[in-house]
Amino acid sequence: MSLESDFEALPIGFDLGEWEMNLDEKTINSYADLMQWQAREVIDKLHFAPPGTSINRHPRMQFAKFTNLRSAIWAKSEHEFLKPFKIGTKIFIRGKIVDKFIKRGRFYKVAEFETLDENGEVLMRSRETGINVE
Amino acid sequence: MSNKGEKMGRNIQVGQEIPVLTKTAFMPIEEDARNPIHTEGYAKKFGMRGALVAGSTLLSYMLEMLYNTFGEKWLSHGKINISFIGGGALNGDQIIVHGLVESIETQEDGDRITLDIWMENQNGVKIMVGQASCLG
Repeated sequence: MSLESDFEALPIGFDLGEWEMNLDEKTINSYADLMQWQAREVIDKLHFAPPGTSINRHPRMQFAKFTNLRSAIWAKSEHEFLKPFKIGTKIFIRGKIVDKFIKRGRFYKVAEFETLDENGEVLMRSRETGINVE
Repeated sequence: MSNKGEKMGRNIQVGQEIPVLTKTAFMPIEEDARNPIHTEGYAKKFGMRGALVAGSTLLSYMLEMLYNTFGEKWLSHGKINISFIGGGALNGDQIIVHGLVESIETQEDGDRITLDIWMENQNGVKIMVGQASCLG
């Protein structure tokens, strides 16, 4: 399978599945350290995860599904934050492919994600455009 | 509880520059990374300066600037729309995150403040551009 044939075969609406993430203190503090997050009060006083904590799961969800895809880069990224991510809870990320197009010989795909809490309430909506490199 | 968002809502004006955030770009380089664009040799093969720092990492720097600006309100009323440009960032790049108040629009639930946002490296090259908004 080539990059082009895989891209052509990708159906709009393709389900990226659902990933679960535990927002335990260790996970949140590791994320904060890695991102050099300085605004500690969001974690230590508000007991919320820094915004964007789960966003690095989105490309992983795609790589998990598209096993032939070797590499990709982000082109655009949109996010709407609706409710804080509470430390000590679980969140669930659901994604699907909503569009694809070819521009200047590059293969773009657009994915949408919803992040929900344990009660099924939407915490964040995302729409991301990526370029399949190889 | 943070009241930074309330402060911004009362004092902010169109054309005002938001305090910048600076970071030294960093992500661990793993030679067996699932996405090899984050490895040195592969990234150079595709015309990059070197192993690219993940877009989600750069986004987190931007989100920290926006949290610093809007406070707790950002967590439940924030919207961001960005494009990655200019060849991205490598480990060690000096990143400067900027915001400029573009508009303030009165809505039923409060004033929505829109910022033009961008990120540049030590050479003044923009590597991220876009807009963000939040209730003030």
